[in-house]
Amino acid sequence: MPTLQSIAPVLVRMKKVILVLSLIVAVFVACVKDDADPPAPTDPPGGGSPVVFDPAQVPYPQLSTYHFFEGALSDLAPSEGVLPYMVITPLFSDYAHKSRFVWMMPGSAASYDGDHRALAFEDGAVLIKNFYYDNVQPAGTRRIIETRMLYKKDGAWHFANYVWNDQQTDAYLDLDGSYTPVTWMDENNVLRAVNYRIPSGAECFTCHKIDNLASPIGPKPQNMKMDFAYADGTMDQLAKWEQTGYLAPGTPSTVNSTVRWDDANEDLTMRVRAYVDMNCAHCHAEGHHCDYRPMRFAWSETTDPVNLGVCVEPDEVLLPILTHIVARGNTEKSTLFYRIAATEESVRMPLLGRTLVHEEGVQLFEEWINSLTPPCN
Amino acid sequence: MKHATLLLFTCLGALSAAAQNTCATALPITVGTFAVTGVNGTQVPLPICAPNGTGATAGEWYSYTAGADLNVTVTTSLPANTGLDTRFHVYTGGCAALACVAGDDDSGSGNLSTASFNVTAGTTYLIAFDNRWSSAAFTFQVSETVPVQDPVTFLPQALPTSGTTMCVVDMNGDHLDDVVSTSTSLIHILQQQALGGFVPQSITTTPADNTASWSLAAGDFDNNGFNDLLYGGGGGVTFMKANADGTAFTEVSYPQYVFSQRSNFVDINNDGNLDGFVCHDVDANVYYLNDGTGNLVYNQGGFGPTCGNYGSIWVDFDGDGDQDLFVAKCGCDPVDILYQNNGNGTFTNIAPALGFADSHQSWSSAWGDYDNDGDMDVLVGSSSSNVHKLMRNDAGTFVNVTIGSGFDLLGGQSIEWTTHDFNNDGWLDILGGGALMLGNGDLTFQQVTITPTNGPIGDLNNDGFLDIMNSATAYMNDGNDNHYLKVFTVGAVSNMNGIGAEVEVTSALGTQIRQVRSGDGFRYMSSLTAHFGIRTDTQVDQVIVRWPSGIVDIIDNPAIDGILVVEEGLSTGVAEASGTNELTLHPVPATDLLYVTTTTGVGNAPVRVLDATGKQVLLRSLVNGQLDVSDLKSGVYLLELTSQGGSLRRAFTKE
Repeated sequence: MPTLQSIAPVLVRMKKVILVLSLIVAVFVACVKDDADPPAPTDPPGGGSPVVFDPAQVPYPQLSTYHFFEGALSDLAPSEGVLPYMVITPLFSDYAHKSRFVWMMPGSAASYDGDHRALAFEDGAVLIKNFYYDNVQPAGTRRIIETRMLYKKDGAWHFANYVWNDQQTDAYLDLDGSYTPVTWMDENNVLRAVNYRIPSGAECFTCHKIDNLASPIGPKPQNMKMDFAYADGTMDQLAKWEQTGYLAPGTPSTVNSTVRWDDANEDLTMRVRAYVDMNCAHCHAEGHHCDYRPMRFAWSETTDPVNLGVCVEPDEVLLPILTHIVARGNTEKSTLFYRIAATEESVRMPLLGRTLVHEEGVQLFEEWINSLTPPCN
Repeated sequence: MKHATLLLFTCLGALSAAAQNTCATALPITVGTFAVTGVNGTQVPLPICAPNGTGATAGEWYSYTAGADLNVTVTTSLPANTGLDTRFHVYTGGCAALACVAGDDDSGSGNLSTASFNVTAGTTYLIAFDNRWSSAAFTFQVSETVPVQDPVTFLPQALPTSGTTMCVVDMNGDHLDDVVSTSTSLIHILQQQALGGFVPQSITTTPADNTASWSLAAGDFDNNGFNDLLYGGGGGVTFMKANADGTAFTEVSYPQYVFSQRSNFVDINNDGNLDGFVCHDVDANVYYLNDGTGNLVYNQGGFGPTCGNYGSIWVDFDGDGDQDLFVAKCGCDPVDILYQNNGNGTFTNIAPALGFADSHQSWSSAWGDYDNDGDMDVLVGSSSSNVHKLMRNDAGTFVNVTIGSGFDLLGGQSIEWTTHDFNNDGWLDILGGGALMLGNGDLTFQQVTITPTNGPIGDLNNDGFLDIMNSATAYMNDGNDNHYLKVFTVGAVSNMNGIGAEVEVTSALGTQIRQVRSGDGFRYMSSLTAHFGIRTDTQVDQVIVRWPSGIVDIIDNPAIDGILVVEEGLSTGVAEASGTNELTLHPVPATDLLYVTTTTGVGNAPVRVLDATGKQVLLRSLVNGQLDVSDLKSGVYLLELTSQGGSLRRAFTKE
């Protein structure tokens, strides 16, 4: 269920506590083994975080070297100073689950830069995003595929990507890109399969760029203004970041935030706007990869239906039948609908990050387009 | 008077709504505006002459009989119909044998329809609307103008393709264009037959790491006589290499990430072997250099350092005989690049100096000699803003001649822009922007609407008129009375396909040129056969083929309305060496001794002899200008003499 997917990181966190406790002996043994080679954590200046992050040395060849996680690495149990976070509507990535974490160099903090812009991070900030599948066949276990990192150094963002080994004991730096087949049983007991794409550096950059400079996408106040079930209690994420010292004081208490794309209680158009913001606006916005097409899919811009492509004729007529980007009341004539329901790689949208059709997402668009009247001229 | 007519027809339509319910009861009309009270007639128009297939359940029928040879427009694209959705079909042949003449779904404003077609005096045309989208009432208009000269019309024909149809090219060396469709594990070829029609050939391959989803190029990079394929995929590049008899393909995939866009086969370093070139959307362009034994080695860099590379086309724009590279760019760095070949293995981007380094969004460009003055002009077509750019080549410098050309008024845009002569009038036309721009021979163009859109182009029924594949539908060019000549190049010293060769055809009309290219437009692979329309000329005086090797073949007075196969260096007695140093060989034919003379003298210089397949069969020094050829078998050979002045080549025949 989409709902489960969205809250999966919370459940993960809660499970971990029990898991760590019950497997403490095994973890201890593993730690002894693991501690043979990695550099000892540097003394964190004024903090208890065990994280190792030497700007002159990163990216490290192995994920374990950073000590972002304590215990068995595959438990993804964050070390002190490593804070989990969520976004209200996530990017669809071939049904992969994700867990996101942030770490910052002690003493540094991000600052508010507008509801719809990524927080302004300082050097030494690291965004960590793990991609995994549950119930992977035949064993029915969790498989973590990759851990993507964005880290800031010398005023610029850099990419690192760590591909997990089969034993799930560590992940290794690899920005060349690769494929790995995954078969899993989903939450509805449907057997699914994907030739999962682990992106290359160039692919990371394609989506994560503004005016040809690398940039984070998720950590914008509009995406983060929500409660999160932390180990020590539920709290608004932005308030938590401020309390932790990761967000400088001065963030407005009200934010023009997005909605959950799968929240049936929300307005249909709002859900669509949230979906295209996270899944499409990293290309279809000014200064982004595909800004020469007329759509403007950012949350802050889609209050105007023209920016959503409603009754706008496409630059590129893919098929004669596709007369508009969104043809009110007619999915058959809507280029957007055709593209999000496609898998052929030169037709599908988004271009990168998915090879499967997000069926529930397509249903949302079908419902929305069919609700629009009158027909376009 | 007009009002009266209109009223009369409107009343008639309203009163006798059932009159036009079937073909047999079609309501006769001439010019004017007519009201349809609803699409509810029992006869559904078939065959379907408009896009978007089946689904209609009712029709409304009208008949129009031409009083003269005219061009007729039927349209529902009228203010009164705003918000409506129509479709119609136009037939000749009478109700018993309805044959498509025209038809349209959405070419008008919004979802309205419009189509124009030439009519012949005395012929009756049946105009039938259907309810594919709506049964609601609407009005339509019929108007007449003077007929379009050399109109271009197509007859759709469904072909049994399998997979994505990206390519029309001769795959088996019979000089007839075949239709190639591909999917992950299949290469499906419809082999065109000499007597018409196709024979399918399904070749299973290993599952390709990368499919031809973004582009496909064809070329014989291992010179074995069968074309190989390049699949430009979203995550990398795969080559499919044909075996010795073209019945199987071996996959060669490369691990490097490439967000492929346009791909080409071209001999980048002019060593006689084709290399692969692929535009990279998000990084510097890549190429695959041929090591001479049919193996390609991945390279990146030297042809544009930045991203946003969409439409590469290799063109000899400066007429110096080597291949230059133009890349239409879009997205992250939309400044077009033009890499001039310095002739020594290096290339220099001279786009800024020639006025091409502007940042308009383009996915492809159409290079051709639109004014038949012997050099390559270009349309850099827009993909998103209607800012098309037509540049006239004035012997190496370029002048922007967009204003007044017709492209300043073209409302459409597209990612595909290609040039061919579709009506065989001797002037190149341009397909793109949702229109066919018929060339007038002076860098002005007349916009006409045709049913097919861009796709792979070739001659699929060997009638000398170019056809267009749109997915599984072949749009067969109906042609006209104009004459033509097709030139099929077979390289020997140069690459087997003669890619990069310039073909020149001179007739009473003047002189036309084509350059043999693998990969034009954005995505598709079109025929490698050079096609020339020669209008009413009944004779071609001369064909000259200038090969990438420097060899020049001259053929006088070839037969027209057919295919002229030119094999490199084998136009015996008329092949010319490049440069000013004249090479002569005698006697013709040679028996034991061949006498070699040049303007500057040869002495005991080393020479090599190649056979018709380009294979070296002899390498030895001359003895006082004489070469012993007694051990050669009878046949045609090419002699190559390398001296201070460069390479001189000439064909000779051994008895």
